[in-house]
Amino acid sequence: MLNKALRVPPAYYVFAILVLVLAVLRPKMLDPHVLGIFIRQVAPLGILTLGQLLVIRVKSIDLSGGGVILAVNYAISSGSFPGASLGFQVALALGLGLAVGLFNGVMVAKRRVSAVIVTLAVSIILVGAVQYLASGKPPGNVPEVFGALYNTSFGVIPAPVALWGLLTLILAVFLGRSVYGRFVAAVGESTTAAQFSGVPVERTVIAAHALAGVIAGVAALVQTASIAVGSVRVGLDLPILAVAATILGGVAFGRGEGGVWGPFFGVLSFALLFVVMTMLGVGEPGKLIFQGLIILSAAILYGLRSSNT
Amino acid sequence: MFDLMGRNSRQGMWAMPLGVAVVIGAVLSFGTAQFATAENLWNLVTQAMPLVITAIGQMLVVLVGGLDLSVGSVISFTTAILALDAPAWVLIPAVFVLAAGIGFINGFVVTRFRVHPIIVTLSTQYIVLGVTRILRPTSGGTVPEVVIAAVSGSLWGVPFAALWGLAVIALAWVLLYRARYGLHLFAIGGGIASGQTEAARNFGLKDRRTVLLAYVACSCFAALAGVFLAGRIVSGDPNVGLLVELDSITAVALGGTQLAGGIGSLHGTVIGAFVLALLANGMNLANVSPFVQTAVKGVILMAVVGLQSRKKMGL
Repeated sequence: MLNKALRVPPAYYVFAILVLVLAVLRPKMLDPHVLGIFIRQVAPLGILTLGQLLVIRVKSIDLSGGGVILAVNYAISSGSFPGASLGFQVALALGLGLAVGLFNGVMVAKRRVSAVIVTLAVSIILVGAVQYLASGKPPGNVPEVFGALYNTSFGVIPAPVALWGLLTLILAVFLGRSVYGRFVAAVGESTTAAQFSGVPVERTVIAAHALAGVIAGVAALVQTASIAVGSVRVGLDLPILAVAATILGGVAFGRGEGGVWGPFFGVLSFALLFVVMTMLGVGEPGKLIFQGLIILSAAILYGLRSSNT
Repeated sequence: MFDLMGRNSRQGMWAMPLGVAVVIGAVLSFGTAQFATAENLWNLVTQAMPLVITAIGQMLVVLVGGLDLSVGSVISFTTAILALDAPAWVLIPAVFVLAAGIGFINGFVVTRFRVHPIIVTLSTQYIVLGVTRILRPTSGGTVPEVVIAAVSGSLWGVPFAALWGLAVIALAWVLLYRARYGLHLFAIGGGIASGQTEAARNFGLKDRRTVLLAYVACSCFAALAGVFLAGRIVSGDPNVGLLVELDSITAVALGGTQLAGGIGSLHGTVIGAFVLALLANGMNLANVSPFVQTAVKGVILMAVVGLQSRKKMGL
């Protein structure tokens, strides 16, 4: 019974508790329009988390998302490509993400370099390059079409949230139905066993990183649209937050019970956590402490479960 | 034959980074007039010291396949505690007791609950940073006189900073190479790296206790770096340790210690930290933008670590 209850990713419990707290203390906050605004803010994180959960499932990690977001933000806001169409900007973001992801993947899978080091180094290089190009100053404004898209909504669902939900759905179906999804699960379970069963382990890992890179490109577009201006600091803490949300969602290095929706609710929990904390008048430090405590306790419950089975 | 890449060595690839350090040093000595002066070199040692101390602690954890992301927060936390209004004989022991406590929590959760070190230390990073910002939202306060005196003086022309470094390196050397503890760390790490996590335990080693103590030691080294920094900046600063965890991991990796565990060396780590310090110092002298410095740091890390080969894929 207890074991069964512990099988549910911690994110669902945290989410339910936070909704309950809101319902009791400020029922007005549960209005879809109000919630939509808060949830829209975490859409970039939510999208980035999709890539993070994929690489974490194959026992890797991607810390380069911050660098990708910064680079894309710079490319769009600096006016380096005057008169560029929206399609070009999108292609640029996805292309950059793909290139970074492929590089990460080849380094991790072929060269067998530690994923923490590779992706960290890529992020350091991108951040340094962008800040150098921008001379440390915010580059400029983002074309208006981004802001317009960001502020669109379908009924009560803001466009960024709709995009996030759609991508989550696609990834869930893809991982659940495709052969590649099985490869991911197999590599996560045991690299050695997967190798002996004929799973193309290296290609699976490279593909996971490449896909995570493309997804980071999408997250970068949404993040850029959300702040509407160029910045030399935007998004740097997102990769680590994405790791945290993934863990909260019941996906850990090599273990994927939380699926794709677990981390989705992990990100939603972070959004609600900020709402509840702000409502209760807890400052920035308090939020950090709570975030840490929640991740730690979720991970401990998770760890306890693995030693039982 | 001299093994530049450290392929068959328990010490890892340390000769390469030493070469990098020598090359940077040589270029700077010929390229700039200010580099090879006694004043600048002692400055370099002083600037490098917090990172050297933190990286040595980080290495202990990395040797057993772990990672400590909370060291930056512990450094900031230490400076915040030292700037509290209390006598020095209370504050100085307090920072080490508190750091040991943080390290104990990290190590306990990692060894008993088998939670991945990245997750555990990420959580403690948040928690400790939160507490630090409550204690001291912005930089301020004054640290005890003793601490300031201990880092700013010099003896026969040698700044205290260098003596701190020697003392810390000696301590870590004894711990790693002259005590049973170091041997156990390498044995346990080697087992973890090759997927034989039970190997060391089957030989009767107390693996959990050894790993737990590595986290405690890592936090205490970070606290020591915090005390040093507090003496340098004279006040408490909640942001002084920001991102130091990444620098310390960079230094450890640059020094040839493998993140999978079991392979690495003290001298490699010290070299790694000095390569980073040399880069910062040299590029400052050459008026290179700090942003380019960041990028160059990343390129060197990628190049040096990319040259190492290992069997394990992933983290």
